[in-house]
Amino acid sequence: MSSTAGKSRTIKVDCLARVEGEGALFVKMKGDRVTDVKFTIYEPPRLFEAFLRGRHFSEVPDIVARICGICPIAYQMSAVHAIERALGVRIDPAIRMLRRLFYCGEWIESHALHIFMLHAPDFLGYPDAIQMARDYRGVVEQALRLKKIGNRIVTVMGGREIHPVSVAVGGFYRVPARSELSPLLEDLKWALDASLQSVRLVAGFEFPDFEQPYEFVALSHPDEYPFNEGRLASNKGLDIDVAEYEEHFLEQHVKHSNALQSVLRARGSYMVGPLARFNLNFARLPEVAQQAARDSGLSVPCNNPFRSIIVRAVELVFACWEAIRVIEAYEPPAAPRAAISMHAGTGCAVTEAPRGLLYHRYRIDDEGLVQFAKIVPPTSQNQKRMEEDLWQFVPQLATRPTDEVTWKCEQALRNYDPCISCATHFLRVHIERE
Amino acid sequence: MLILGCGNTDRSDDAAGVLVARRLQQMGIAAQEFTGDPLALIDAWNGAGEAVLIDTVVSGAAPGTITVWDASKTPLPPEQFCCSTHAFGIAEAVEIARALGRLPPRLLIYGIEGIRFDVGGELSPEVAAAAERLAGEIAGVPEGEQSKRQSVLLK
Repeated sequence: MSSTAGKSRTIKVDCLARVEGEGALFVKMKGDRVTDVKFTIYEPPRLFEAFLRGRHFSEVPDIVARICGICPIAYQMSAVHAIERALGVRIDPAIRMLRRLFYCGEWIESHALHIFMLHAPDFLGYPDAIQMARDYRGVVEQALRLKKIGNRIVTVMGGREIHPVSVAVGGFYRVPARSELSPLLEDLKWALDASLQSVRLVAGFEFPDFEQPYEFVALSHPDEYPFNEGRLASNKGLDIDVAEYEEHFLEQHVKHSNALQSVLRARGSYMVGPLARFNLNFARLPEVAQQAARDSGLSVPCNNPFRSIIVRAVELVFACWEAIRVIEAYEPPAAPRAAISMHAGTGCAVTEAPRGLLYHRYRIDDEGLVQFAKIVPPTSQNQKRMEEDLWQFVPQLATRPTDEVTWKCEQALRNYDPCISCATHFLRVHIERE
Repeated sequence: MLILGCGNTDRSDDAAGVLVARRLQQMGIAAQEFTGDPLALIDAWNGAGEAVLIDTVVSGAAPGTITVWDASKTPLPPEQFCCSTHAFGIAEAVEIARALGRLPPRLLIYGIEGIRFDVGGELSPEVAAAAERLAGEIAGVPEGEQSKRQSVLLK
């Protein structure tokens, strides 16, 4: 019998590392039984929805870009699509493709950062990427170059690598010439090869034997791996237009968190993000990404959240491949953005941020001013599911020393690449054994 | 010598490093503004024999206090360079570069103590004065001459 049997202990992390923003984790155990789990987001509410009220719709993409330094494009994309729905704006097919390229840049920089700099140290036994860099110099150099390539796409498309300024309702303030995009191709072809190597590297990590009967929710599109368009689908029967989102999903306030927790009204917690997209859209991945996934041992459905690091690497392959495809086919649109006919309206949209579904809804008056705004970030949607993972995962660790339990709990949360700053509207870990 | 002024001009005192770079440019000295991804610093100082980086810090010292670290010899105190995205700020970029053998042979980091960081707010007077003083020091301007230029910086 282990020395911890029957004892109570508390695992507490007051400030979770390698996540964006400020949050804490509290786990209380009695023997091998978990008696409490609280994933606490204590970063103060940021009130962006209130800032948006009274602002002209044209200001929205630049304001919401400020919600996050790593996924500003996601916020801009959900915002413009929602406003375009409200105003009945139809966009040029070339604009649609440029938006996919823009999103590829964000996925590449965000996934490269999370896979190598934030999550890989958990699997390789290092406290952080700095310690890991001393022994895995080539891996970290590769990660930095991948991230730089993602940043370059964002800079070319958006004017700068953080908080880009080119996105407009109806299109862009300025679209690139072919001659500006073509120089990206050489780097992207290197990035595609590097991403394939990344899949092989992370597939060799050791993964805890842990699976859950998740409800995965993602955009689903008949012809393509989703970024900006599609129906909302799940592996448990959900198949709705994004306009029906609020009929099926509910945001709840919980006392221990400054971020609202989302649930499916019918079935409770659910998962968004790479694992959900992969499981629901595998057939729409290009063959090179499908083959990389098969070679890595992934199968559909993948219900082990720790394997999400492999899925992110597969999505890195996809994003590089897609960026190359878009650039090679690019013909500039006739106009950088569609003309807008002003009238009052309400519109919503969902796009796929690197961490998962990002829902926006706006009500605009006949002068173009925002009367109401609602934003549901991916980390808010995954928050309840993260707690439920720990309820199920921690008992496996009951006989392990507290510092190991703490490490594994943090690793389990990082499966979701939580972005706490986005969710406040969050990490410290506290494990208590009685 | 490579000079990089870091910061965010929309966040009050966080603009200090950028303003030092702008002031040096006014003096005809090559200095770059750096407002992007901190990890990109590793490429930015690639090949430089000597680099100077200026940023705002928070240590609890009096506003406008200037501290200098020789980062080529010792790690930066990460808690003082706390504004970053996904846990990678300047202190972490320096340490990753050190682990990769990509630090310049000499890297001086000047920190100007900030006190206010509100969105769209003005620079506090102590930090504006410190930015002017530091620009003058880097440019080799005698101390008595520096105060005359403070009004320019505040514009």
